[in-house]
This record gives sequence, structure tokens and C-alpha cells, in this order.
Amino acid sequence: MSIELMDPGADGDGGPTRVTAPRLASLDGKKIGLLSNGKANAELLLRETAARFEKEHGCSVVHFIDKRNAGKPADPAYLAKLAAEADFLITAVGD
Amino acid sequence: MVAAKGVHEVEDDALAAIDYCFERGWTDGLPVVPPERSRVEAMLAMEGRPPETVIASHPATGLDCSLQGAAVNAVMAGCLPEYFPVVVAALEAANEPEYSFHASTASTGGSAPLVIVSGPAVRELGMNSAGNVFGPGNRANATIGRAMRLIIMNVFEMLPGVSDQSTQGHPGKYSSCIAERAESSPWDPLHVEFGYGDDISSATVFAGSGFCNVENHGGNTPESILDCIGDAMASLACITIGQSVVVLSPEHAQIVAGTGWSRADVCQYLFAQANRTVEVVQRVGKYVEREHVRQGTEHVHRGFGPEDILLLVAGGDAGGHSCFIPSWSRTRASIMQSKPIGVCIDC
Repeated sequence: MSIELMDPGADGDGGPTRVTAPRLASLDGKKIGLLSNGKANAELLLRETAARFEKEHGCSVVHFIDKRNAGKPADPAYLAKLAAEADFLITAVGD
Repeated sequence: MVAAKGVHEVEDDALAAIDYCFERGWTDGLPVVPPERSRVEAMLAMEGRPPETVIASHPATGLDCSLQGAAVNAVMAGCLPEYFPVVVAALEAANEPEYSFHASTASTGGSAPLVIVSGPAVRELGMNSAGNVFGPGNRANATIGRAMRLIIMNVFEMLPGVSDQSTQGHPGKYSSCIAERAESSPWDPLHVEFGYGDDISSATVFAGSGFCNVENHGGNTPESILDCIGDAMASLACITIGQSVVVLSPEHAQIVAGTGWSRADVCQYLFAQANRTVEVVQRVGKYVEREHVRQGTEHVHRGFGPEDILLLVAGGDAGGHSCFIPSWSRTRASIMQSKPIGVCIDC
């Protein structure tokens, strides 16, 4: 004899939030987008990190966006702009 | 529409089924009631909407909670079917963007969704609004709060040490649900204050940090009681621009309201008391000028104004113990939300 237990997990798979972006073949000369979570040291951390890419791979920062509220998702319009104009994004928790 | 997720066939043995839930990682560390199909169906029978109806979504994981998912976890928490509308209302409240479901379930701050039930549901469900209101011993209080945690863990996959990065967390993260003791309150019950009317109960959800007991057995004026609460709210450990929940014991409420203080009077007084000088806040490294500017006050206060304080009465008849519960987060990352229970306003 057996009983049926219902799975307590979510019904879907999370959709696009769980899809990994395609990997870049090379970083050389690529355009960087920076997304700050708005915490105290986020911009410092992002700028320093980007500087390494600029120095070592000839990358350039094309956008810096501060979403101001660490607890909320970034504005979709910001993300669309970053996706359209940057080759890759750096984001960080700069607490 | 979402498809139903898997069904697990296990041996027809209660202990084996409990062990199976542990093995699958479905628990909060305590045993759960195995979510057997008929129990889940009984839970869902309390809802008029289809099981696949999505009632909450997690902004970061992208995962949805349907009525089915909520019902499975409510069974596991130990809820009776009649509690389910409260779980649904609390979940729908937490789903409001201003509550910030993601951050409040992920942050180092380690908050618990404190559910506060007001109205006829308190009596109908046999909830505890009196002695030990935050403590153990009442099935409805314990399991409604626990259902919220299990949903956060199992449906939204906000898992301790993985996606839930609480530095310390607090015991309320197992379960945090209280009922308002309206019969001992000198003021309108919360559900009426919220405009839901006499017959409609409400569930309020507040992303709360740990509980701060406020003891005063000697004071016998409103000021003497409220100064203690205001002092707790103004502590350097707790002062932020976030909201507050203040739960007065019946004894304290009687003293405070005995000379005619209204709820608004009390909140006004508490907001005024809950302040520190800029110099002191600067000295401990917590001063944020842009936040203080938004307050528009000389000193740094807790919250933006009296309306940031939710004041209610609960607890036992005896004892000069009230409490203050600070919001989670160092700023103002979550705003408490309320929903009517068992009433669908949008559909």
C-alpha cells in the first residue's frame, strides 16, 4: 500500500531569471555595463573591478546605473538599456 | 496557468512519510505533516479559485506560488483547512511590491514575516490573542506562521545558507503569527481601522526583526509606559527610518488609554519620543544624511512619522510586558501590507 504526497515546490521553473546569458568568446574591447545595488560601497567596488577589465582587456564602461534600492529588482527599462548597449554586465553587493 | 508538480508515492506509513519529507529537504528542521493528497484537497476546498491560480511570485527567483503550492505547504505546517484563507491573505499581502518579498527573504537582516490577524477570524479559528501570544501552544497561530516560512523555503527556494543569507536570523523565522485582542483594546480593531468593516477580518504582514520586550510594572501614567517603548524604539541598535509594530499588553493599554489617549495620540507620542541626536547617530556610524533629510526633523527619529507605527493590543491580563518589533533592514526596505481574509477584491 502507498500514499500520495504532493510536492511542495513551485509549479514553474522560474523562467528567464534562471537562464544563464551566453558566454563571451573574448573580453577584448568589450563594452561594460555597471549595475549598482545602491549600497554604500557598491560604486567603488564596481569602478575598481571595471578598471581591471579596462586595463587588462581594453574594455570600456558605457553605462553606470544605480538602482538605489538594494531590496528591489532593477527597473526593466534600465536592464533593457544595459542589454542593448553593453556586451556584459558587472553587478555587486557593495556593502 | 501552471502545471501541477509531481506526486510522490511513498509507503503508507506515517513515520516513513515524515522521514521522506526530511530526506527531500522539505522541512524547516522540524517534522512536517506529510502532504497527503486528500489533506491538500481539503485545504484547497476552502478556496473558490482554481488550484493553479498564482497568488504570489518571487521577484528574484522568478518562482510562482499557486494556491496548490500554498495548500501543500499549509498541510505540512500543520494547518487545518479553515486556516487556509488566512495563509492566502498573508501571502497575497506579502506579494505587494512595497513589501519587498525578495529582499526580506534574502537579506542578512534576517526578517520573519510577522502575520497579525484582526477581526472575527480570531475567535472563529480559535486563535490566541492573550497570554503567550507570541509563544507556543495554539495550533492556528503556530501553523499559519509556519506555513509562511515553508512556502518561502519550498516554493520560493529561499534556503538558509544558500539564498537566505541571514546573519543570525531569529526564532520568529520558524513561525510568527499573532492575533489582536480586540476585546481588551480601547481602540477600534485593526480590521476596522483598515476600512474592511465589522465582518471582514484582516491579515497584516510585517517584515520584522527580533522581538524587543518592554517591561514596566511600576509606571501608572501614559507617559511612563510610552517613554519605555519610545526608548526601545530609539535605541541605537534599532533606530532606522523603517516602520514599527508596537503590541501593548492589556495592562499597559488600560493605563495608556485610561486618560483618554487615542491610538493617534499614542503613535504621535511614540514617534516624538523615538529619536536620537544627529551627533549620537553619527558617532556610531549609522547616520545617513539623505535619509535624515527625508525625515525633515531636527533629530533622527524612528520612521517617517506616527503613521509608521502599527499599534495593537495583545497578550495576557497579567503583566507589564509590551513589545516593540523593529522592521527588518537598516533603511526602509519593506512596508507592511494588509489584506482582507477570504475576500477577493480584485477578482
